[in-house]
Amino acid sequence: MTLTRRGFTAGLAAGLTAPYIIGSARAQGGGTIKIGMCAPITGPAAEAGKYATGGAKLAVEAINKAGGILGKQIELIIEDDQTTNPGIVLAFSKLAANPEIVGFLGSIRSTQVHAMAPDVMKLGKPVMFGGTDPNLTKLGNPWLFRFRPNDSYSGRVIAEYGVKNLDKKKWAVLHSTDAFGTAGGKALTEALGPLGATVALDQGYANQSQDFTPVVLAIKQSGADILGSYFTFENDLGIFARQLRQLGVNIPWVGSPSIVNVTALKLAGPALYGTYGVADYAEDSSEASKAFGKAYRDAYKVAPDNQSSWPYDAINVLATAIKNAGSTDPQKIREAILTVKKYPGAEGEYNFDKNGDGLHGYNIVKNEKGNIVFDKHIEFDN
Amino acid sequence: MDLVLQLLFTGIGIGAVYALVALGFVLIFRATNVVNFAQGEFSMVAAYLMVVCAVDLELPYWLSFIIALAGMAVIGAIFNLGVYYPLRHRTYLPVIIATIGASILMANGVLALYGPQPQVLPGWFETPGIQLGPVYLDSQYLLIIVVTIALVIFNYWFFEHTMIGKKLQATSQDKEMASLLGISVSTMIMVTFIYSAVLGGLAGLLVAPILFVSIQMGSTIALKAFAATIIGGFGDVTGAIIGGLALGIIETFGAAYISVPYKDGFAFLVLVLFLVFRPQGIFGERVAEKA
Repeated sequence: MTLTRRGFTAGLAAGLTAPYIIGSARAQGGGTIKIGMCAPITGPAAEAGKYATGGAKLAVEAINKAGGILGKQIELIIEDDQTTNPGIVLAFSKLAANPEIVGFLGSIRSTQVHAMAPDVMKLGKPVMFGGTDPNLTKLGNPWLFRFRPNDSYSGRVIAEYGVKNLDKKKWAVLHSTDAFGTAGGKALTEALGPLGATVALDQGYANQSQDFTPVVLAIKQSGADILGSYFTFENDLGIFARQLRQLGVNIPWVGSPSIVNVTALKLAGPALYGTYGVADYAEDSSEASKAFGKAYRDAYKVAPDNQSSWPYDAINVLATAIKNAGSTDPQKIREAILTVKKYPGAEGEYNFDKNGDGLHGYNIVKNEKGNIVFDKHIEFDN
Repeated sequence: MDLVLQLLFTGIGIGAVYALVALGFVLIFRATNVVNFAQGEFSMVAAYLMVVCAVDLELPYWLSFIIALAGMAVIGAIFNLGVYYPLRHRTYLPVIIATIGASILMANGVLALYGPQPQVLPGWFETPGIQLGPVYLDSQYLLIIVVTIALVIFNYWFFEHTMIGKKLQATSQDKEMASLLGISVSTMIMVTFIYSAVLGGLAGLLVAPILFVSIQMGSTIALKAFAATIIGGFGDVTGAIIGGLALGIIETFGAAYISVPYKDGFAFLVLVLFLVFRPQGIFGERVAEKA
């Protein structure tokens, strides 16, 4: 066979175009469904970032092993948010520039979610996040979906548990004077009134206090029989807990999530034994939580926390929504997420409301000699 | 009354911590005429050195203590050579900016090496404290108070009764005159930096079992210690001690009887009052002479 000029040209043309034809065929048929994730790979929360990406990857691997969604495998693309607001805006804009990404995971830090919210609105694709500022789902931004219970629930749960389960009616409320602590203290105080409990002491403190003696003495003098607290930083919590015990105050204590976090347990040690805390992720709270805990431990050899449970749930819910929608169209995915009801996640049972809040309750856990033990789950309808 | 005694003890304890850090400020100020804004970071770095030795490497507590302080002596020397010495012929401003830069470097260096999680450092004593009548005395605070008293005595002896102390004083009063008398000014300044770094480190090691070891532990204490030095009279050793103790007591009582959230406010309110009505501080004639 001789190679004619025509044959050569045809062959060349076929050779040059083939990759494109095959490529576009793959994009329409096989290929992957891409999900973008902003996570703190560097900066102060880098440690937490490892847990977050670990949780998300675990969910992606499980879905892909089970055959993926819509006949495609999921591909997770992670960008570093540097634990800062400018960092997450940059990370999100990088991800948003990729038109193949159908959904995103934002941050566990409310302030970062606030920072990226305008860009999310402009892009018009669903973003899952873990920040707990109640306002985030009231911004009128239809593309934000929350995978942790917001702070309005924690105050109600602390109040309800203390009054109904521990049967204590005279409260000392101690909170940081920052945005988180003030909002939390207010939510707790407001929840106590309708339950017939009184606030004997409503005490704010400034972050990074070196000494809590005046606070402890005020609690002692108030005659309160229970303490509810919102601490922002673990070192403040640790110093306070020690001084509280040293000065002989042993009333029951129900705290915001920081009271059961690993760092706080390490710093305060025995001073926190016997205390209660609200926790969005508690391993023994449900079958789904237990399964997640086991899978995470098998994969990474450490116990998971809420940093890893919400991204895990977010990927799973997003995948379920895409499957139910039968499409990667943003509007269809959004509608499918909002119809998710009774989905058993690691954090709890997801029932999305019209604002995009997936969870409506908290777990109460107890510190038993340093071990965090699940006590009960308190759920609200509204 | 019980309440007052308890508050007084805590106030003196926390005040002694401010006093220790303030002492480092004063010594460097006297020797070089600049404020060392990295003084708080000396405390933080020493505490991390101690965590590495006593907790991570499980060395005996006393040995870790010595290693940490020796480490601070080295850091003090490096600090002098790297931050102060190259700028010593310039005005005070570039030096102050350089100390701020060094403090940022130290804080972020430790952050990069050790991560952001606060660490626990056990105290010197097995017993956390003793109950003396109605007052609970935290053993670590007791230690801090004792060390502060010992240091006041030591400083008096060192500066008034040893040759090197007198040379240091001469250098701080008039560098040209001192060098004409055959005192090596740069050696004396080196000694001052080493001593200040060790003092700052000592404060950090003593306070770490109470406040935990964290990146920001130094800066929060240093800010109060700085206020204490101004109240006491910048450049005066006794003033730094009295200023520190006064500040600790004022803020503790202010928090208990007026407002907890404004606790830090009382410290700085007192600072402002002093700056307006007695800018030279309680003991500070020397400032006017130096300004």
